[in-house]
Amino acid sequence: MIRLENLRYRYRPDRPWALDGVSFDIPRGSICGLLGPNGAGKTTLIALLSGLMTPQEGRMTLDKQASIAVVPQDYAFYPMLSVAENLDFFAGVQGCSRRERRARCAKALAFACLETVARRRAGELSGGLRRRLNLAIALTGAPETLLLDEPTVGVDPQSRHFLLAAVRRFAEAGGTVLYASHYMEEVEAVCSDVVIIDQGRTLVSGPLDAIRRDHARGLTLALSAPPPETLMTGWQARFPEMTAAGKALHFPRIATDGLAFLFAELAAAGVDAERVAYGAPDLEQMFMQLTRHALRD
Amino acid sequence: MPLFSRLVSLWKKETLALMRDRHALAALFAMPAIFILVMSLALADTDAFSGKDSAAIHYTLLDLDKSRASAALEARLGNTPFSGKHPPPADTEAARRQIQAGETAFALLIPQGYGQQIVARQTPVLQLLVDPTLPHALREGFYRQVEAAHIRVSVLLALGTPEKAPAPPGAATTPMAEFEAPALAVEAVGHGDAAPPAPPSAVQQNVPAWLIFSMFFVVIPISAIFIGERQHGALQRLATQRVSFGLILAGKFLPFLLINQIQAVLMVGVGRWLVPLCGGEALILPQSAAALAALWLVSLAVSTAAVGWALFIASLAKSSEQATVLGGVGNILMGAVGGIMVPRFVMPAAMQPWTRLSPMDWALEGFHQVMLRNGGISDTLPAAAALAAFGLAALALAWLRQAARKT
Repeated sequence: MIRLENLRYRYRPDRPWALDGVSFDIPRGSICGLLGPNGAGKTTLIALLSGLMTPQEGRMTLDKQASIAVVPQDYAFYPMLSVAENLDFFAGVQGCSRRERRARCAKALAFACLETVARRRAGELSGGLRRRLNLAIALTGAPETLLLDEPTVGVDPQSRHFLLAAVRRFAEAGGTVLYASHYMEEVEAVCSDVVIIDQGRTLVSGPLDAIRRDHARGLTLALSAPPPETLMTGWQARFPEMTAAGKALHFPRIATDGLAFLFAELAAAGVDAERVAYGAPDLEQMFMQLTRHALRD
Repeated sequence: MPLFSRLVSLWKKETLALMRDRHALAALFAMPAIFILVMSLALADTDAFSGKDSAAIHYTLLDLDKSRASAALEARLGNTPFSGKHPPPADTEAARRQIQAGETAFALLIPQGYGQQIVARQTPVLQLLVDPTLPHALREGFYRQVEAAHIRVSVLLALGTPEKAPAPPGAATTPMAEFEAPALAVEAVGHGDAAPPAPPSAVQQNVPAWLIFSMFFVVIPISAIFIGERQHGALQRLATQRVSFGLILAGKFLPFLLINQIQAVLMVGVGRWLVPLCGGEALILPQSAAALAALWLVSLAVSTAAVGWALFIASLAKSSEQATVLGGVGNILMGAVGGIMVPRFVMPAAMQPWTRLSPMDWALEGFHQVMLRNGGISDTLPAAAALAAFGLAALALAWLRQAARKT
């Protein structure tokens, strides 16, 4: 179980907060997707959870700090060493006995299906194999929690499939996973929980299904013409969360009686709805709604 | 035991990674060896320290005669290009100590009865103490100045005007041919009883200097490896595995210290065996076990300073390019100030005190104590201690830098 309460961190006193009151829980044995646009604070959050940095405010409760391992986005290993030597080094540097080291390395090799390339230098591996080695190294510490930072960047679909399956296997064995990614379909495929952060703040967090249910009554309309001003004024008063962009309207939450009201008013104003989308949005739609569409970089 | 096994893992990784990096190996071993070879051969037939600016070469004078003749000799020497700024020593032993400490290059001892011997047309014996690190040309230059000054004083004494020249017309004159140069009893002042070696050859002068310079250039491969680890995230990964930065530094320090020592042995070997094969003079190494131990102590201290400095630069720089500039320029400055490129004794007098600020000067002093002054371990201790302190201070700064980066 990981519990974050009102976590705040900034890199310099004169800079804005990189994390500004982040709170969420990750239940033990779950895979929690961490989503956010570039600069949202994901890397800072992972650095705090992994112990690289200390939060300046707020509270962080972890089951067992020592058993967290990070799978960074970079290939964080030694290209001059072989796969086996890398694993042996990272196990050894954690103070394992020789026997334990061998056992852990063998297990990590098998978990990441790297046995056939154990003697090859890491620098000579393909992108997919490097990603698997990156994951295997994290397992040499026999962690209970894995923090994965975009672990599938630059790999082919086969390798991605393998890595996602490996993450699932880890969680099925009782491990807890925080999975940071920009790939929504991956998060939807493996995560039971999700946290979306932006500008250092938590926008939404909780079980993915529950979040979907909360956003299930969203309505998106593409109209034949912009609605009259008087109509818009009335709607904005009744549906304060409504957003409009020209002929496109979006209502994050709207009940069935609201639907009937809207269509009646549109018909009275002589405006046709050319496209109507109602119901549960996919994760990407939900993400874009929550974080807005503006570019961040 | 877990701490030691973690260190062993770090040492093993460092060694394996380095042994498989051909470029780093070339930078560590081949380049300095070629450098030493080329520099020794290039300077073999020249005397780089030919005393072009001998005004900066200090001598001191101990006048035991206190006669008009000795005063005249001192006055004449004061008109030579050599600089006699040092206060006169109390006795011969004090003069020796000044030379051993590198404060002065020569000490001229004018014996009692010097003036009387001149009057009696006898050849006086002037004792001359010499710093053994001085090259042949400089020594000869000073000897000739002493001889010339002595002859002039003898002539003036014979003319009855030791401090005024020339003699009045018609005064009795003595043919110049009858005035002889004094007998110079030259003694190179080393440590202990053993006689210091003959004036150092270019190889003897150059190899220690360029050896030090090359050893400090370990900064380039160390920082490249270190920064690579940081950029690829390996260091962050180690940090998440609760491997402290102090342990990482310790894990790097010993392998690189050993590698730096192998570098030193290789370069000394080049000076000792390869340079003569290519037509140059062989480097002369001390023979006694004590002297060799002293040499090793200095070399170990240089490695401590060089590796500590390299790790500090690596922690400071954000990229390999930055480390190359910081480390390279830093080394060149230390070398220029520390008498590696231009020996201290040919620097302008105002510049000479500044050489003491450079660790390369301390290193050179340590090597000279053993290789040119026959010094032992106790004579090299001050230089070795200063170098070790510099290396450890640099390591501490590297650690502090990392701590600051983390917060």
